[in-house]
Amino acid sequence: MKTPSSLEALIAALRVLPGVGPKSAQRMAYHLLQRDKPAALRLAQSLAHAVETLHHCAKCNNFSEEEVCEMCRSARRDSSLLCVVEMPADLLMMEQAQCYQGMYFVLMGRLSPLDGIGARELHLDRLVKRALEQPCEVILATNFTVEGEATAHYIATLLNAQGVKVSRIARGLPVGGELEHVDSGTLAQAVLERREVAG
Amino acid sequence: MQAHKNRLEDEPAFVLHSYPFRETSLLVEVFSRQHGRVPLVARGARRPKSAVRGLLMNFQPLSLSWFGKHEVRTLHSAEWQGGQPLLQGTALLCGFYLNELLLNLMVRDDPHEQLFDYYQHTLQRLAHGADMASTLRCFEKHLLQELGYALLLEHEAGSARPIDAALSYRYIVERGAVREQADTPDGLLVAGKTLLDMATDDYTDAQSARQGKQLMRMLLNHHLGGKLLHTRELIKDLTKL
Ligand SMILES: [Zn+2]
Repeated sequence: MKTPSSLEALIAALRVLPGVGPKSAQRMAYHLLQRDKPAALRLAQSLAHAVETLHHCAKCNNFSEEEVCEMCRSARRDSSLLCVVEMPADLLMMEQAQCYQGMYFVLMGRLSPLDGIGARELHLDRLVKRALEQPCEVILATNFTVEGEATAHYIATLLNAQGVKVSRIARGLPVGGELEHVDSGTLAQAVLERREVAG
Repeated sequence: MQAHKNRLEDEPAFVLHSYPFRETSLLVEVFSRQHGRVPLVARGARRPKSAVRGLLMNFQPLSLSWFGKHEVRTLHSAEWQGGQPLLQGTALLCGFYLNELLLNLMVRDDPHEQLFDYYQHTLQRLAHGADMASTLRCFEKHLLQELGYALLLEHEAGSARPIDAALSYRYIVERGAVREQADTPDGLLVAGKTLLDMATDDYTDAQSARQGKQLMRMLLNHHLGGKLLHTRELIKDLTKL
């Protein structure tokens, strides 16, 4: 039996999603068409709408419907702090932790030299421009993966050359964490980065 | 559980690079001591609670077990070996450079035990703040030697005549050093002293360091067949600042 061309096109389109191979794409297509047509229509409409209306905020680079997003326009945020995160999900985590009132810059990725993602691909020039708009401290909250660390180092070097104060979030044992259950790498690094306790 | 015939236990190895694979897995290119470069699938390694998620870090000595008879094998378990401080700053970028060289020049399933040991030694040097340029030159030389492209540094090409520190030579790819003469415009101009310093991994002399870098770059470019090294660009950008 030959697959109709519109079905074939849908399966091919679904494969743009990360981690979706031909099998999963086929499963998704059948599910949408057979089980839940209204949902399929909503998905199609919201996808088209999002693609049309969303772009990157001129200040924080996060997705926004306006030129400058709501958070960047807010007068309640502390504009002397600029926190750099890799992805929008990281920004949401920071907000959930309710520990930070400053501004953000979302990289939308990380340096990954072995995947060919360098400073140009990541548009780090935009971050430098943003950091120089007004005096601020830049807090690097990229992941503690090798790529996240490389990204932090690269940005720190870039910004230090421009006289910008840069700090890196600390790493260590999780709050409430027990030594017995923590992974060796975290423990080893926590010992290496220990700090003095005043008596 | 059924014992696998194609099972390997507790192999010393490093992660060279990993890629997302399927919904929740990772495809990990490892450099193992006994089996060289091997691609492994780490099933479920991208799940938030995965036991190996934080373990499969580049530049960290690991002990890996895997099974499978196809080209891409399946990771069974990973253990942290420790003793290697995390690479930081420019040393970390140098680590990426080593891995990019290995991924581009080393074929899969070809063991290189000495190169493995030298790689581990190089990571230690980088972690302990050794001079980065000379550390990279030494690694590049050992890498080419292990892959069968050893440099000829002590004798002239095709002869037993020793290199003279006071003379100038032209180093020609796949031949070696020939004495600088009017009719040998090919190859890279290098001092005899540079070649002898490179033979003993001594880069304290500024000219040897500079010419050594040029020579290694010419030879690596030749073996890379025109492929651009991304990490080289990144390090170059950064040191320009
Ligand atoms: Zn914004």
